[in-house]
Amino acid sequence: MNGDGTVYARGLRKCYGDRVVLGSIDLDVECGEIVCIIGPSGSGKSTLLRCIDGLEEVDRGILRVNGEDLGFVETETAYRARNRKEVAMQRTRIGMVFQQFNLFPNMTARENVMAGPVLVKGVAKKAAASRADSLLADVGLSGHGDHYPWQLSGGQKQRVAIARALAMDPNVMLFDEPTSALDPERVGEVLAVMKGLAGRGMTMLVATHEMGFAKEVADTVMFMDGGVVVEQGPPTEVLGNPKEARTQKFLEKVL
Amino acid sequence: MAPDIGVLDKSRSEEAKAMDATDKPRLHRRGPLEYVAWAVCVLVAGGLAHTLVTNENYQWDVVGQYFTAPTILEGLRLTIVLTILAMVFGGILGMVVAVMRASTVRPVQLLASGYITFFRGTPVLVQLIFWFNIAALYPNIAVGIPFTGISQAVDVNALMSATTAAIIGLSLNEAAYLAEIIRGGFASVDKGQIEAADSLGMSARTKLFRVIIPQAMPTVVPATGNQMIGMFKETSLVSVLGVAELLQSTQLIYARTYQTIPLLIVACLWYLIMTLALSYPQSLIEKRYSLVKSRVSSEAAVDPVPLGGEAR
Repeated sequence: MNGDGTVYARGLRKCYGDRVVLGSIDLDVECGEIVCIIGPSGSGKSTLLRCIDGLEEVDRGILRVNGEDLGFVETETAYRARNRKEVAMQRTRIGMVFQQFNLFPNMTARENVMAGPVLVKGVAKKAAASRADSLLADVGLSGHGDHYPWQLSGGQKQRVAIARALAMDPNVMLFDEPTSALDPERVGEVLAVMKGLAGRGMTMLVATHEMGFAKEVADTVMFMDGGVVVEQGPPTEVLGNPKEARTQKFLEKVL
Repeated sequence: MAPDIGVLDKSRSEEAKAMDATDKPRLHRRGPLEYVAWAVCVLVAGGLAHTLVTNENYQWDVVGQYFTAPTILEGLRLTIVLTILAMVFGGILGMVVAVMRASTVRPVQLLASGYITFFRGTPVLVQLIFWFNIAALYPNIAVGIPFTGISQAVDVNALMSATTAAIIGLSLNEAAYLAEIIRGGFASVDKGQIEAADSLGMSARTKLFRVIIPQAMPTVVPATGNQMIGMFKETSLVSVLGVAELLQSTQLIYARTYQTIPLLIVACLWYLIMTLALSYPQSLIEKRYSLVKSRVSSEAAVDPVPLGGEAR
């Protein structure tokens, strides 16, 4: 079975001590599907994405990314942790874009984009550099390869971060509130890059407060609150004609 | 305009009237405390200078005579060598201990903690004497491969000369302190950096050498410079082992000539000169790395700065 570009979850649960951050989440993301996750702060959007990237460990439930159990192998009685190399391999196929960019400040934009291919996949530097330059051009940053992160604006940094994630040729891209740390006039340039990516058939899960983006680009909109999915469906339904009272209340405030 | 603000010099008040008010400088008041402080400062400095010149027990001629004596310079050379060796070995070992301390494997972490606790918790002077007398504890050690009969016995007493004990003692002690400094550097690296590295699938090793260590440097390097300045003076402790470093060299001379004070002044002057000489590059390093750090840590959206621009 080829599950590239899919995310599948059943009964995903995660607690911090007594506090339930994810309470039984189910996901069925198909290859090439764009899922926008909306909801108030602390609703579990970020935690869900971080679990799918393996940055957080789920407590219970099934989580398969690209058709494989993430970080663990299922046995008759338990999930056994995979060895580090396998986990790293799985992660190379999932791209993550963080709210705070998290570019490596000791590397130039080009070196940031090259970091994955060179340091993880062992790609030759020369090939990786020219690939990095074309990726930077794709996100509208040709000529910025030699700039360090501190020389770039927030929007430029985030576009470098997207190029860095794409350099690993992931099958799934996760965006954790990618425009929340940006100046309002820089939001558009990042969203434009993401729209372009969506148009090329990349599977994307996007936690966002940008309702316009969700309406325009998403195949599915998930509204989360209190660690559970309250409502999900096509954007016309969830955003245009929400059924749940909680969703209506949230949308009244943000729209 | 209130008459008591800014008008310190009444004779110039006419001129001030002619000046455009928007160009006038803002002058600040000097409290009476500042004048008192200056008076005390002058008195203390004057008193010190007076006694330095008039008290003949300082024997400045003897200071001059021995300042560049071959024995003293030889001692100075050894002090410098000891400092460098202790910092190099201490740095390498400190890095290893710091990495162990940051390990997720509990026993490895405990081992490193134990090392740091022991070497920071006991006086370095005691440690030095301990290493010098280690032969009393282990008179012979055999270096070899277990269960094979291949083995080479080593006489510890012959091996552990005063200088060896000094280098071992200073290095092991310094390693514990540097390990803590390096650990602090690791802790200063933003958690998001580690997540970004994990997200790309980097191995622990790649993460350490390509992401964590380069970013820890701005914190670690200036602190290590300070440790080096401290170590330069700390080497004087090994004089108790009879190692002929700077202090011991002066002691050897005054044991013979009874000119204790002038020779100690010679030692002090050399320590002071070397410390000042080390402080200058240290301040440059601090300045440079604080610049790097401000760039590194200001990941929050800042306006683009042209290449070669000044970081604020």
